[in-house]
Amino acid sequence: MDPHLSSRSTVEVAATAAPSAAPLLAAAWAVFRKDVRSELRTRYALNAVLLFAVSTVVAMSLGMGPLTVSRNADLPLIQAALLWVAILFAAFTGLARAFVHEEEARTAAALRLSARPTAVFLGKLLFNLALLLLLVAVTTGLFVIMLRVQVGNPGLLAALLLAGSLGLVAATTLIAAIIARASVKGALFAVLSFPVLAPLLVVAIQGSANALAGRGWESGVGALQVLAGYTIALFTASLFLFNSVWEP
Amino acid sequence: MSDRLRLEQAAKLLLGVWMAGIIVAMFLVVPQYVGLGDAGRIIILHVPTAWITTVAFAVSAVYSIRYLWKRRVADDAGAVASAEVGFLFCTLATVSGMWFANIVWGTPWNWDPRETTILILLLIYAAYFALRSALDDAERRRRLSAVYNLFAAVTMPFLLFVAPRMAESTLHPNCAFIQGSHCDGIWLELNGTRVGQLGDVVLALQGVEQRGDLVVAQVEVRMPGLREVALLEPSFELASGKPADRPEFPGQQFLLAVEGVDLANGRVLLNMEAPGTGLLSNSRTFWTFMAANIGFLGLFIWLYRLRADVLLLQERLAQREVAYGLPA
Repeated sequence: MDPHLSSRSTVEVAATAAPSAAPLLAAAWAVFRKDVRSELRTRYALNAVLLFAVSTVVAMSLGMGPLTVSRNADLPLIQAALLWVAILFAAFTGLARAFVHEEEARTAAALRLSARPTAVFLGKLLFNLALLLLLVAVTTGLFVIMLRVQVGNPGLLAALLLAGSLGLVAATTLIAAIIARASVKGALFAVLSFPVLAPLLVVAIQGSANALAGRGWESGVGALQVLAGYTIALFTASLFLFNSVWEP
Repeated sequence: MSDRLRLEQAAKLLLGVWMAGIIVAMFLVVPQYVGLGDAGRIIILHVPTAWITTVAFAVSAVYSIRYLWKRRVADDAGAVASAEVGFLFCTLATVSGMWFANIVWGTPWNWDPRETTILILLLIYAAYFALRSALDDAERRRRLSAVYNLFAAVTMPFLLFVAPRMAESTLHPNCAFIQGSHCDGIWLELNGTRVGQLGDVVLALQGVEQRGDLVVAQVEVRMPGLREVALLEPSFELASGKPADRPEFPGQQFLLAVEGVDLANGRVLLNMEAPGTGLLSNSRTFWTFMAANIGFLGLFIWLYRLRADVLLLQERLAQREVAYGLPA
């Protein structure tokens, strides 16, 4: 695609023309840029998510700080579980925001008129992915420093965190769209997301434990394959199902 | 119409007699299993209910697809009814399984993959009902809950097939639970590695001695959390090359067996066996079990269709109330 076309003109195209006129990816990119811009104006999700992550890590380090590998052989597994729990719950606080905000500000109808459902979904997915990757980077960095975690295989850990984030976003974006229409939004998001995320968590925690313990790449390939399959399956299902959710 | 009604009456009666027969057969026809005693009879109740749980989930997903396709209220009622009856069977399977595990394995919850899977299934059902109660508009409630139902169904293959295999390799080495998984056991030797682990039990080899044709190993067994320590003496028959005496682990009904011996180096191959893995090889148990599966399937179909009819009736009454402004 021509980069000149995609950068400036698409916002106007998406806003003024009929929904089907703009190419899909350009429209999705426009939705993503709109969300980033409105997020940077209020920084609501950013503040909430990052502060939640920081408090969680600090709270854990208050109790876990003195633990060392010599005192506990299962430490990598414990640390991997705690890291993913921190990421998971911080994600629960922020990832629903993209859709909930549209309903609360009563802008969903305008968005329905200006972009195709698939473009809206892809744009929101991209926004959630950007938010989550930032969150994962901050949480993991703080976690490693404050809990004095020894990362045996940093490359594998980074790959697992990336694959896990992709799966998490693929699973929760559709659920965020569902709960935006319900009456109790915050609690429902976690309730609906957790059972769907359970396979991802099992695999990601065990893979991350192997990475922290310093085992080689062959110990994490299985986990990466499962995470990739999970992401593809849920992403495809979301594309099929989103039209039904996005109906007025 | 009256013919159909009569047929349904006959089917209902037959189902009642059939289920009563299964309950009688469960105690009178099925033999006791060595090592499990009367607890083994639970297979007639527990396995079919767990199986029906997955059937119910699949039926519910099919109805949800049909609802999103044709938008008929009857399909939504079918999806809800199937999920509700499935939830009932899921609870029955979980509780009966925990009861059995408490008697046989010494603890109601073991975090083995099957238990994890059924717990997540319970949570999915609960989330589905929570979502329905949180959506006020009827059309939106049907549409969004159908979407969630299908979305959750997409993750089930991962939960059922992938997570247990992943877990077995790192967290749950208790291969005794999962049939078909490789269960190699461990070699312990007097002059080398004396301490090893099977599942979450720690074993220490104290001695090996030959008594005629039998080789007896003295093994110190420590249960998780150091609850109990015991000295067990499993034995191995040299002539047949098979384990002879299989003692039980303290507090559990797992058996410790010697599966191989290397007398020259003082090495023995120790392994854990779960009682009940050969339960269905008995033909009387097998046929009662199959009859129970059919019976529970019939019970499920009857229950969910009844519930779907009730839901549809409620829907019609609500519509009439809206149309005429009268309490129906």
